[in-house]
Amino acid sequence: MSVSNLLENWSQFRHTHPVDDKPHDPYKWAMSIDLDACTGCNACSIACYAENNIPVVGKERFQHGQQMHWMRIERYWDEDGREFADQGAQFLPMMCQQCEAAPCETVCPVAATNHTADGLNSQVYNRCVGSRYCSANCPFKVRYFNWYDYPTDDAVWPAEMSQQLNPDVTVRSKGVMEKCTFCVQRLTAAKSVAKSEGRIVREGEVQTACQQSCPTGAISFGNLVNPESRVHKQWQAQQVEIDKDKQTKDEKEEGSELRGYRIFEDMRPYPSVMYLERVRESAV
Amino acid sequence: MYRFLRLPILLVGLFMAVSSYAANDPQPTLTTEDSLGPEIQQPIEFPHNRHAGLRNPNDPTNSDPLKGGMEIDCQYCHTYARRSAVAGIPPLQKCIGCHQNIESVRNKPRIVELFKYWDAKKPVPWKKVHDLPDFVRFNHERHIKRFVEQQNRPTQEACGYCHGDVKSMTVARRQKTLSMGWCASCHEKAHPVTAAGGTPVGDQAYWYSFQKPAAKPDASGVVKAQGPNDCWQCHK
Repeated sequence: MSVSNLLENWSQFRHTHPVDDKPHDPYKWAMSIDLDACTGCNACSIACYAENNIPVVGKERFQHGQQMHWMRIERYWDEDGREFADQGAQFLPMMCQQCEAAPCETVCPVAATNHTADGLNSQVYNRCVGSRYCSANCPFKVRYFNWYDYPTDDAVWPAEMSQQLNPDVTVRSKGVMEKCTFCVQRLTAAKSVAKSEGRIVREGEVQTACQQSCPTGAISFGNLVNPESRVHKQWQAQQVEIDKDKQTKDEKEEGSELRGYRIFEDMRPYPSVMYLERVRESAV
Repeated sequence: MYRFLRLPILLVGLFMAVSSYAANDPQPTLTTEDSLGPEIQQPIEFPHNRHAGLRNPNDPTNSDPLKGGMEIDCQYCHTYARRSAVAGIPPLQKCIGCHQNIESVRNKPRIVELFKYWDAKKPVPWKKVHDLPDFVRFNHERHIKRFVEQQNRPTQEACGYCHGDVKSMTVARRQKTLSMGWCASCHEKAHPVTAAGGTPVGDQAYWYSFQKPAAKPDASGVVKAQGPNDCWQCHK
């Protein structure tokens, strides 16, 4: 995307997605996470660290709020006076929600974050100047800033450890923002294979690292516009529609029995991740 | 009269002629050392011109390499280009596969050097010439499919879009800037989706990019499509 292209097509790059004149076709990547299946084991977070070359910052920097976990497990506690308080923990994996009308995109002064055709919120490290405005504007707080030059930090990637870096993912340098990409390197590889065979990516052909590592299969990921995909079926069964800020099922007075919801839906970022509410009282 | 003006007018005229020519040039000319990258010394000075160069026009049947090239297809050695992201450097086995049967050049210094590696069971430590930055994802397969298979362009022409006229070089040298603006200058153009003799790939004969290509042919009767132009297509 050259500067002239950016300027000429500015209105298109700044479109509020989803829009009728640009329907997602043939891809719209989306996720659904079953909180009832989630045990809070953190395997997804570890897998994300390994897949995406995320620096492990250490205790001290973590305390300063400089952690880099693209995928974090949020904990919520039932404070109902139970005997064993830690049995009342509820977990919620939180990562970039790949919002269709992303608040981060509109505030970036250099257009380093914008929307891709298949509905991802892209972050281009080379374009980023590190204003951190996007992070300030993100309601989910899932953007992480490189406060240090981690590739040269011997405590993070000592010489022999650099061999385990994923070559398909950039090692980010100091002063740029980063966030969950829905494992875009895997998506690109799968799309290329599919393209050579003259078809679209099949359901199950591509997995994100977190989905792959989840021992309980709580995370589903796929192409929302493909009616065969598990994600599409789940979204449909839960009557959650991507382009609505208030779902039809919630308009009924008695509420809905369905578990599907999206976080901060009424703020109209149109997130691409649907969560399935927890129904278990506890794991006891 | 005004004789003293002759030289300035000539100079101004020359400057304008040159600058207007440069402004119309679709691709910026490469003048600096930086845009061409460093001159890379290879362990063996591989003669691309002998292998891929055109046959001697005066004697087309004679394939004596000293009198011209042998027109070997780029993909005979760089065989991964059509099926993976990287074009690949051929293994030493491939060189030996032919050269053990070519007695006439067996005692040339470069071939002797080649067989030294073979006898030592060591690969030739070729150096990378077209080295893209780590944050760029370039896929050879997509470009080969697009131009060689769908548009039925000759391999040397399609490879030459980015690698220049390799068949006239000995050791390959970078001919294009390989900068983002240079990539985008091609991706922004509408190229025909298929051509006579080409193989369309399914119903996605074009890359799906931010601007979805028009399915209808344009005024010249050709369906054209741009290259992908969203950032994550190339940046990782």
